[in-house]
Amino acid sequence: MAIAEVQKVQILAHAGVKMKVLSTLQDEGLVQLERANCEELDLESSLPEVSHLEHRLYRLSYALGYLSRWEERGFAKKLFAQKPQINRQKREEILDFDCLPILDKIEKLEAEENELLSEIKFLEKEEEFLSPLEGLELPLKSLKLNDSTEILLGSLPLSQEEAFKELAEKEAIWFEVINRGKRTLYIFLIYYKREKDYFEQILKDLNFIQLYFTENMLNMADENDKVRNIMEKIQGEIEEKGKRLEKLEREGQNLFAHREKLMLLHDVLLNEKEKIFSSSLLGETESVFFMEGWIRSSNAEKLKSKLRPYSDEMEIYSRDPLPEEEPPVILENPKSWKPFELVTKLYGLPQRGFSDPTLPMAPFFFLFVGLCVSEAGYGLLVGLLSLLFIKFAKPKGALLQFLKLFTLLGISTTILGALIGGWFGFPIRSLMVLDPLQDPVSFLILALALGFVQVWFGTFLNMINGIKKKLYLESIFARGGWLLLLPSLVVYLITKQSIWGILSLVGAAGIIFFASPSRNLFARFFGGLYSLYGISRYLADVLSYSRLLALGLATSVIAMVVNTICQTVLGIPWVGWLLAALIFIGGHLFNLCISFLGGFVHSMRLQFVEFFSKFYESGGKPFRPFELESKFVEFV
Amino acid sequence: MEGATLGLAIATFGGALAVLLGGMGSAIGVGLAGQASSGVMSEDPGKFGMLLLLVSLPGTQGIYGFLSGFLVMLKVGLIGGTPASLTTVTGLLLLAACLPVGFTGLVSGIHQGKVCASGVYMVAKQPKDLMKPVIMAALVETYAVLGLLITILLLNGITLK
Repeated sequence: MAIAEVQKVQILAHAGVKMKVLSTLQDEGLVQLERANCEELDLESSLPEVSHLEHRLYRLSYALGYLSRWEERGFAKKLFAQKPQINRQKREEILDFDCLPILDKIEKLEAEENELLSEIKFLEKEEEFLSPLEGLELPLKSLKLNDSTEILLGSLPLSQEEAFKELAEKEAIWFEVINRGKRTLYIFLIYYKREKDYFEQILKDLNFIQLYFTENMLNMADENDKVRNIMEKIQGEIEEKGKRLEKLEREGQNLFAHREKLMLLHDVLLNEKEKIFSSSLLGETESVFFMEGWIRSSNAEKLKSKLRPYSDEMEIYSRDPLPEEEPPVILENPKSWKPFELVTKLYGLPQRGFSDPTLPMAPFFFLFVGLCVSEAGYGLLVGLLSLLFIKFAKPKGALLQFLKLFTLLGISTTILGALIGGWFGFPIRSLMVLDPLQDPVSFLILALALGFVQVWFGTFLNMINGIKKKLYLESIFARGGWLLLLPSLVVYLITKQSIWGILSLVGAAGIIFFASPSRNLFARFFGGLYSLYGISRYLADVLSYSRLLALGLATSVIAMVVNTICQTVLGIPWVGWLLAALIFIGGHLFNLCISFLGGFVHSMRLQFVEFFSKFYESGGKPFRPFELESKFVEFV
Repeated sequence: MEGATLGLAIATFGGALAVLLGGMGSAIGVGLAGQASSGVMSEDPGKFGMLLLLVSLPGTQGIYGFLSGFLVMLKVGLIGGTPASLTTVTGLLLLAACLPVGFTGLVSGIHQGKVCASGVYMVAKQPKDLMKPVIMAALVETYAVLGLLITILLLNGITLK
C-alpha cells in the first residue's frame, strides 16, 4: 500500500495543561486537529481572543516591508538566499525582545518620509507652474496692489494671438508677452477696473485662461521678489527637503540591523497566534478539555511518549477510522519515487478505497517525457541544472521535489535522446537504435504499443480494484474480458490465426453478459452490448499516444532548423560566427523550454485522461498537520 | 527563378500555407490569452511568470506550422540544395500534406487561446491550481499535434522523383 495508515486520536485532559499540550503538538507536527465532537460529552467550544497578536503581527510585517528596501538585491543572491534558523531556546528568548521602540521608530520614519515626499511633489508642481512665467519682471506683490486697474496673468492659445493684438490696439488694454510656448502665449495685461465685465467676456471668448499665484508662493515672496526669485526659493526648499529625506533614509538603514530579530519575532508570534487560535477546535468545560485529530498510525507511539510529562492529567485514545469517516491521505512511497507524487497530487489525492497510483504511473511518465523531448543535450542540461540548484540553493518542500522530478526527467531525456534523438540537433548515429526522422512509422508503432500497454495495465488495475471491493463476477468476467479481448484482437488482426479470434470472442462474451448489473436478462444483454461499444474509446485512447511521436519529432526538427540557420548565418563575413553562436544558444534554449513544457504537459495528460480514468478516482483530502509555520525564518 | 516548375510553386504554396494558418491560429490565441492576462496583471503584477506560461501555450501551433513549412523547403531543396523540378502532381501532393497542420493549427490555436484566457482568470483567483488550466489547454492542443503528425508522415511518405 502506498497510502499510509491513519488513526483517529482523542485526548481528554485537565484544562491546566491545555497550552502545554498544544505547544507539544505544534512542535512535533504529528496531528491534524479536527473540530472536536462536543455534543456527546456536553462540551463547549469558544473562539479565543487573538486580536492583540494580530495587531502586533500586522505592525511587524509592516516594519519588515519597510526594512526590505535595504535587502541585498540581485537575482543570484535571492535565488540562493538562506532563511535564518532558529532553535527552541532562541524561540523562548525572542519573546522577551521588546520590539515596540523599533516599531514606533519605523512607523514614525515612514510617516515623516511620506510627508516629505508629498511636500516635495507639491513644490515641484509649483515650480512647473512658474517656469513659463520666469520672464515676468515685476515683483509678485505689486500685482494686486492697485485699486483702479485690474492686473492679470494668463495664457492664450497661439492661434488667438492676432485677434488679441487687434483687440489691444483698439481698446484700452495694455499687455506684455512673457513667454511664447509651443502652443500657448503667456501674457501679462492691465485694464481699467470699471471695464472689467466687458473685458472679461471678450477675453473668455479668446480662450484666455487666467493664472493665479498660490498662497504658498505669495507667502514666500518678499516685497521685491520676482518669479525668478520665488523659483530659486522653491528649488532651495526642495533641496533641503531632499537632504532631510536622505537623513531619514540613513536612520532607517541603521535599523536594518534589527531586521533578523523582527523576522524571528514575527514567526514566533505567528505560531503563538495559531496555537491560541487552534484551541477553538477543542471542546471544553471549566476543568477539562477534549481534542480530536488524525495521526499517522506509525507516529501514534511517538505522540504518546512526547506527551508523557502530562500523562497523569490526561488520557489518550486512538482507533482506526470508522467506515463513514474520511481520513486525510498521506502518500507513502520509496524515496526515489517521491518526486512523482507531484503528478498524482496535481490530479488529486485518492478517494477512500482507492490506492495510490504513483507507483504504476511513474515509469510511464518517466518514459513518456523522455520520448516527447528526446534530445540528449537538453536532458543533460536540465538534469545538471536541477542537480546544481538542489546542491547550492538547498530548497525545501515542494520545490525540492519538483527539482528532483526534473533531475529524473533530465536523465530519462538524456537516455532516450541518445537512443532516438540527438545532441543539440546533432545525432550520434552509433548510439541510436531508431531515427524517427528516417523511419517515423516504426516510432509510431512503438508509441502506440506503449499506449496499448498502459491502457491494458490501467484496465488490469481496475480489475484488481473490483476484486478488492468484492465485485467478483463483474471484475473477473467483464473487466477480465477486456484484458483478454484487447490483446487477442490485436494479435488476430495481425496474424489472422483463428485461435486469437476465438479468444477475443470469449472476452467479448464476458463483457456482454457481465458488464451490466441488471437482473433482467434482456436489459443485461443489451447493456453488455453497449459497453462492448466502449472498444471505440479504447481505440481512441491508444491512438492518443501518437502524440509521443509528434512531439518527439517536433523537438528534433526544430533543433535541426536552428542548426541549419546557424550554418547559413556562418557564411556572413566578419560577424557570422557571432551571429551563429547567438542563434545557436537562443534557438536551443527556446526549443528546450517549449519541448519540456510540451513534453511535461502532454505526458501528464496521458496519465490523467488515458490512464487514471481506467482505475482511479481522486477526492481525498491532504493531511495538514498542526505544526510550526514559518514565513521568514526556519525552525530547527 | 529559372527552371522552376508549376509543381515547385504549388509545393511552396503548401509550405507557406502551413506557416500562415498555424501562425494565424497562434497569433489569435496568444492575443486572447494575453489580453486576459494584462487585465489580471493590472490588479496583481506579481503573477507575470505564471500568466506567461498560459499565454505562451497557444503559441505551439505557429511553431508546428513553421516546422512543417521548413520540412517542405528542405524536401524540395529550397534550403541547403538545388530546387527540385517537381511535377504538378507531386506539388499538389505536398500542398495536400500541409493542410492538416495548417487547419488544425488555425482552429485549435484560437480555441486554445480561449481556454487559456479563462485559465488566466482562474489563476487570478486560485494561483495554486496553475497546472489545471494548463492541462485543459493541452486537451485542445491534441488536435494540432495530430495534424502535425499526419503532415509529417505525409511529407515523409511522398517521394520525389
